[in-house]
Amino acid sequence: MYISLLVGFVVPLVGVYLVLRRVVFLGVALPQVSSCGIAFAFALQGWGWIPHAHDSAQERAIALAGSIVFTIGTILVLSVLERRGRGLIEGRTGLVYVMAGAWSILLLVKNPFGQHGMLELLRGEIIAVSTVDLLLTGGTFLPVVAGLVLFQKEFLLVSYDRDMAVSLKKHVMFWDSLLFAFIGLTISVSVMSVGPLVAFGFLLLPPLIAYQFARNTAQFLWLSSVIGGMAAVAGFAVAYAQDLPVGPTDLALLGILYVVTFLGRKGVELYRERRMRAATGA
Amino acid sequence: MERVSVGYGRHVVLSDIDLTLERGAFIGLIGANGSGKSTLLRTILGLVPALSGRMEFLTNGGKGPVLGFVPQRESLDPAFLVSGLEVVLMGTCGYVPPGRFFRGADKEWARHCLAQVGAFDLASRRFSELSGGQKQRILIARALATKPDFLLLDEPTTGIDAATTRSILEVLGRLHEQQGLAILMVNHDIGAMRASVREVIWIHEGRLLRGPAADLLKREKIEEILGPSLN
Repeated sequence: MYISLLVGFVVPLVGVYLVLRRVVFLGVALPQVSSCGIAFAFALQGWGWIPHAHDSAQERAIALAGSIVFTIGTILVLSVLERRGRGLIEGRTGLVYVMAGAWSILLLVKNPFGQHGMLELLRGEIIAVSTVDLLLTGGTFLPVVAGLVLFQKEFLLVSYDRDMAVSLKKHVMFWDSLLFAFIGLTISVSVMSVGPLVAFGFLLLPPLIAYQFARNTAQFLWLSSVIGGMAAVAGFAVAYAQDLPVGPTDLALLGILYVVTFLGRKGVELYRERRMRAATGA
Repeated sequence: MERVSVGYGRHVVLSDIDLTLERGAFIGLIGANGSGKSTLLRTILGLVPALSGRMEFLTNGGKGPVLGFVPQRESLDPAFLVSGLEVVLMGTCGYVPPGRFFRGADKEWARHCLAQVGAFDLASRRFSELSGGQKQRILIARALATKPDFLLLDEPTTGIDAATTRSILEVLGRLHEQQGLAILMVNHDIGAMRASVREVIWIHEGRLLRGPAADLLKREKIEEILGPSLN
């Protein structure tokens, strides 16, 4: 429950920046890269390059290290290439996604030890999360949230108007890298906790729902976070009552909420338009 | 700027330029499409590095000048959910340190800048939903919020109707007159330039022609520069 709440409240906060910067596809690719990093960490143990973990906590620490190194490394390289305007960003992101997926499979195919761990991740089985995971997730999310709140104006400025930031003598590359490091860290930990599918769902769906109603960036951020958190609570309750996996239930609820809010908003717009036409006699 | 060449990578757009922008000037920068107006502006702003030559900013305090930049409004992504006030507050990021939230005084200053350009009532409106003229006012307010020594505008009246263009130029004229603000404005519209700026820099065939607007924008002078192509 707690980990679900943490992911629900925090992951949409970084998802907001992926939506605003129009790099939503990164939200799909990075969890895949994170999984690839985990697979690589398992493979290193399988090949005997690093000693086998003695307990579950040690095993997850190694996997998390692989996830973080791969995710943050990839996101930093992609962000540098994006800023330099070289090549097509969608093409690069697609390449990263496909390669990460393929390598995850190749790294695990002859490693039954890793296959078992990855299967758990892919299912997004939040109930099975340990206290260590909870502390790890909370301990990582805390500085991320603090950073996102404290440096919101810098992140918004470099994301919205890079030229303005440069003219104000801001170190754009530094702020971009810090933002992407926060995004990478959040995704790495989320994938470890809830799996790539659920992590991507919380990155994308709450911001997409909030986008329809928010009037400014601050509203967009807190609304996304609240929607994610509420969906996590509701999803947990439904999953518990119906004996379903929590992660996919959360996402299904968010998907329904998106469709309902989208149709509701369109309906209200149509009604207002008709009333206005009737009032003007057009 | 002393013997400065501007361009992108190996592509030199203007070479060996000598240019001085004085405090309190109101200059229009004109030229044909692709002549290098925007590249020159972006080089002054530090967005594009000069390919060669020497650039120096002389200010009273010894620190570099604050350049208030008004970009082309189309360059800003409408996907961002930013209000008019949020856009203007971005201008304060030059002196509000990282990690410090905007205080009441910062917001008050941003509203004051909005009021200066006649856009006080646009503070809570979503920027992407505003008209071209309204967006331009907000962007000028944002540049003012930087507390600039120089205001640099990149084609602020392009795609805006005549009445709105006039009111934007009036705002700039007022800022120049009342506050002594130095302004460098890239613009295509010779008529608008003639009515607003004091001085003109005309980029023609890789050269910078400079003179008072009243002289350089006379019909005879324009014909002399452009030759038969004017007709």
